[in-house]
Amino acid sequence: MNELIPLMVIVPMMAALLLSAFSKYEKFIRILALVVAICLPIIPLLSNYGLHYFGGYQPMTDNVTNIIYHPAITYSFNFMQQIFIGMIGLLTFLVVFIYLTKYKNVSGPYLFLLFMGTAAVTALLLTDDIFHMFVFFEILALAQVGIVAASSIDYSYEMALKYMILGSIGSPIMLLGIGFLLAITGTVNVTDIVAIIRGGLIDATSPVFLLSLGLIFFGWLYASGLPPFHTIKSGIYSKAEPHGAALLQSFTVISMISIVLIMFRIYSTLPIFEVLIVLFSVIAMILGVSMALTQTDFRRMIGFLAVGELGFIGLGIGLGTQFAITAGLFQALNEIVITALLFIGFGAIVNATNEVDTRKLGGLLAYHPKVGIMLLVGGLAMAGVPPLSGFQSKLMLVQASLSCGFPELSILAIMVSIATFVVFVKTFYSMFLSPKPHDLEVVDKDVPKAMVFAMFVLLVVIIALGLFPDVVTSGISNYVGGLLL
Amino acid sequence: MMAETQLAILFTSIALVVIGLYAAIFVDNIIKKIIGISFIEEGANLFIVGIGYKAGGIVPILTPDMDPTWFASHASYPLPYGLVLTSIVIGASTLAVMLALVMVLYRKYGTLSTSVMLADTSKQEEYNE
Amino acid sequence: MIEFILMIITILSAILALIQKDLLKAAILTGFSGGALAVLFQILLAPDVALTQAIVGAAIVPVFIALAVKKTQRGDA
Repeated sequence: MNELIPLMVIVPMMAALLLSAFSKYEKFIRILALVVAICLPIIPLLSNYGLHYFGGYQPMTDNVTNIIYHPAITYSFNFMQQIFIGMIGLLTFLVVFIYLTKYKNVSGPYLFLLFMGTAAVTALLLTDDIFHMFVFFEILALAQVGIVAASSIDYSYEMALKYMILGSIGSPIMLLGIGFLLAITGTVNVTDIVAIIRGGLIDATSPVFLLSLGLIFFGWLYASGLPPFHTIKSGIYSKAEPHGAALLQSFTVISMISIVLIMFRIYSTLPIFEVLIVLFSVIAMILGVSMALTQTDFRRMIGFLAVGELGFIGLGIGLGTQFAITAGLFQALNEIVITALLFIGFGAIVNATNEVDTRKLGGLLAYHPKVGIMLLVGGLAMAGVPPLSGFQSKLMLVQASLSCGFPELSILAIMVSIATFVVFVKTFYSMFLSPKPHDLEVVDKDVPKAMVFAMFVLLVVIIALGLFPDVVTSGISNYVGGLLL
Repeated sequence: MMAETQLAILFTSIALVVIGLYAAIFVDNIIKKIIGISFIEEGANLFIVGIGYKAGGIVPILTPDMDPTWFASHASYPLPYGLVLTSIVIGASTLAVMLALVMVLYRKYGTLSTSVMLADTSKQEEYNE
Repeated sequence: MIEFILMIITILSAILALIQKDLLKAAILTGFSGGALAVLFQILLAPDVALTQAIVGAAIVPVFIALAVKKTQRGDA
């Protein structure tokens, strides 16, 4: 059923608008939010692979040059989109579920932001149109700012405004890049642009083409929180509510891979493109881990670790072979799940202790054994301990960089993994295992059941992906093979 | 003649972007920063309209009495105009959100200076302790 | 010829808006710049864009900024 492809974007967007409009009727928005959240992971599973042309404008063939033009905004749905949209749907369901059970008074506008963000990243994954990508990039930035500003943590408004100012510098710059691309190719459809470049109709070494790469690349750096934006990105994670942060990081990962895949299709003929991606990814890996080491606020620490993990994804895509890109995308899928688990788990700790400083915490394993063990497994998965999912993807990345002839990069990747392990174990020790400080008051209340449930679901996904990675990687590999043709 | 106008459009849009970037990065007052950001957006919009402009052309609206072939060779390119419409509205909405955040923060700090309002938050936390 | 004059007005009012001490004047000059840009769009054969820009750039944006200035402070301190 190809009709379901646009519904993946339309359903969360309509739900968001309805939730915002009827926010007075509490019972109604609770039921609506839950129903839509359950639908989100199911729609991509039911839908068939294929293309959707908005307005029904079929592609046209130019009789003179034999080039096919796509006049409509095109959505393309394939295995890669299916698995990522399914995962983001699952995560949105868990986050909405946690939110609905945690608070007595449900806020319609906040649910609006959550669903709008989900709709935006879904559209980013599906779209084959570079301006459509820009529009949803902006909507996503606004939704992220809203989620941060809506949290009750101190200084969240300042962080939101800072992120917004950087974003509104970054997005017109990206728009200029799209403008340059439009000026030399005359179209905004990615497939058409690729056909024009491959057909040699424009000079791929012209400075205008390079300039458009630079400008879009800047926008991509902002969207994905790679350096120089790593501080602000980890900052917004730490200022959002924990379940919001779990969703925010998945937005970041998905906007990163969807924009970089579009850029990869357009600019892969330029050698400098892959060098740039690898360069920024390596800087992100090193900076992310080394800054995580010095943090005392554990939310900030997870934020920096998440930025470091983004570097692994970029590394895989920058290496540019079929195996490497598959590894990078698989790493992206794993990171979405693992980091969400860590944010929700640490959020449960904040909920129980009202303390975020690792130096003032200790001995929590006796109080919250379930949360502690699930967090430990999640952290080990992030650091790449077998047989969890993070291990499989990092092993693939190391193999890929070896087979591409860059043993330095594989050594660096292993070192960053070890450093991640050290950072996580250090924090875990001081929070859960070290003796409890006298002045720490552990509020004697249970961790919300919804949070434990969400962590359990994510844990099952982590272990399943770790044991059976082929289920995902073979499909992604086919998709990447199609891109590289 | 054609090249002159197009060059002037390019120059104006780059000038707007540069002025806006200067304001957004170096000016301390937050409202002026936001005004600067709106100039960057205007510059980008003007550049994209400039792509579609055809000197000596006509407005891209096809009326029944026109010959389609003549229209195709004389009308300016309408696709960038559609994009700019969206981009203008997006710009206005981001501006509104930013100003709303500024109004909330002004109530807390009593100043519009960025160096006070948006100082490094980790330092603010230490200062409060 | 008129397009060059409009371009100069756009750039000049942008610069003037940023060097004003009074933020309300800056808001009005922003509207000036947006309005000149709207007329420029009309000359560049984009009447639909010109209409939108005239409403957004010459009316909505300066009014928003002026409202924000009214709720905060007028001087550039």
